[in-house]
Amino acid sequence: MSKGFCLLAQNNDTTNYVRQAYALALSLHKYNADQSISLITNDIIPLEWQSVFDQIIPIPWTDSAEGEAWKIHNRWKVYHASPYEETIVLEADMLIVSDITHWWKELSKHELFFTSNVNTYRNEVVTSRYYRKTFDSNELPNLYSALHYFKKGDTAKEFYTLLEIVVNNWALFYSKYAKENYQKWCSIDLCAAIVSKILGNEKEITDPTSFITMTHMKPAAQKWKAVPEKWTSVLGRYYRNDGVLLLGNFLQTGILHYVEDEFLTDDIIEKLK
Amino acid sequence: MTKGVVLFAQNNHSLDYIKQAIFCAKKIKKHLNLPVAIATDNADYLTENYPYYEKYIDYVIELDWKECKQKRIMRDGTMSDRDLEWRNHDRGTVYDITPFDETLVMDTDFIVGNDIFLNAFDAPDDFLLYRHVTDLNHDREGQELFDKISDRSVDMYWATVFYFKKTARNKVLFDLINHIKENWLYYRLVYQIPDITYRNDFSFSIAIHILNGHQVSSWPKTMPGNLWFTTDADILVKLKDESYTFLIDKKDWKGHYNINHVSDVNIHIMNKFSLDRAISEVLKDE
Repeated sequence: MSKGFCLLAQNNDTTNYVRQAYALALSLHKYNADQSISLITNDIIPLEWQSVFDQIIPIPWTDSAEGEAWKIHNRWKVYHASPYEETIVLEADMLIVSDITHWWKELSKHELFFTSNVNTYRNEVVTSRYYRKTFDSNELPNLYSALHYFKKGDTAKEFYTLLEIVVNNWALFYSKYAKENYQKWCSIDLCAAIVSKILGNEKEITDPTSFITMTHMKPAAQKWKAVPEKWTSVLGRYYRNDGVLLLGNFLQTGILHYVEDEFLTDDIIEKLK
Repeated sequence: MTKGVVLFAQNNHSLDYIKQAIFCAKKIKKHLNLPVAIATDNADYLTENYPYYEKYIDYVIELDWKECKQKRIMRDGTMSDRDLEWRNHDRGTVYDITPFDETLVMDTDFIVGNDIFLNAFDAPDDFLLYRHVTDLNHDREGQELFDKISDRSVDMYWATVFYFKKTARNKVLFDLINHIKENWLYYRLVYQIPDITYRNDFSFSIAIHILNGHQVSSWPKTMPGNLWFTTDADILVKLKDESYTFLIDKKDWKGHYNINHVSDVNIHIMNKFSLDRAISEVLKDE
């Protein structure tokens, strides 16, 4: 069975997501031997950046995010575009900071798997529900789509087929399945949670006790009393020459979902090379 | 393997930590029956003012007197306070100066009320200290502040009382604590500690974090039992044998107190003025 990572990146006016995907691919190669990585994008990629990807795949069909500032409307196409039988999907604003190759063995036990428990930079389980009010008040599965896995087959195909419908009609589905604390924008986390609720497959596709997780750097999730607008304004970060990343003096392992683009300095990219 | 307790006692112009150490040693003799060493920069004061000290103190370790510029506001309840020298910079030297192979170290305002600490000497661990503390005042706000050394920083450990064996790892630990103390202005910035004041709790916490590879781990284990404490906003009003009566700062009512009473506990009494008044009564007949 072929295995690989798929990243979907579309630049907008403020953020170069292709650059983030390039850094993510560099970090994957740095800590994880012999991994395949594909980038799904319609953006132009500098020649130097292309070499870290095994395949660069155009976004299938038309660009569903055209004209949107936050370009998430093509995410459901990852299933169809992935060249692998087993795929780990990662959002672009992440870095891999240690060897996670053993995750494949664990994920292979599932047809489809979403992370549902994330950590702070201090490796504490995030307990804040600040960003998850809609999930709680509508009793939706606590899925994080930024890190998920699928195996090509009926289960994942059914999920993604329904995800396409929900994303394309998100306001309609929100009004039925997420009307409490109504969210006025389309998010893949919420759409995926609605799909899981409709299919009744939460127990099959996630496990809050799983070690498959990530560090999520949204500021209100960090168990701070004084919450800043951006974590990058208050926390020291040290990417050492030996490849160790410290945030606020805490060693980072696994996957870092850094959220803030300003974290990804040219210096970090140089060190990842 | 020799076992014993080391107490650090360095007076300022208002507080007699040596007197506290003698009272503390008296309780240690009663409950733990261990030899006690006092580390002080004023041994003459000890011998001149407490000629009976050898009843409770087995070793005197003389420290060099150093000028101290660090001050701390110390309260006597909620209505009175004084800004005093805080001479707390020698704790990290204990590895080198202790006369014992296995050492219990405690603040002089920590009072032993039972024999539970003897279990530390039977444990397989080479270093034990408290990660969590228990306030006698359950209504006090801000107790979550004691969980980390600052909002965004590392786990808080308490250097109030700890146990260690002489091992290679502990040598590194105490060398690191001394290094942090000597470079405190750097470390307090890196670890985001707003207050400039040097605290042993902070340097111990930072050293433990570094030795754990900048991660949280199961090392070190906790000392036996609870670390009870009262703050300097509370007042010790009565001390009889192993029973202590406190006026506990009443929430939202400055200058008002609730009464609380405990017996047979190990307790950290941070109001040093009221502790001094109480132990003066106990020691007057020595």
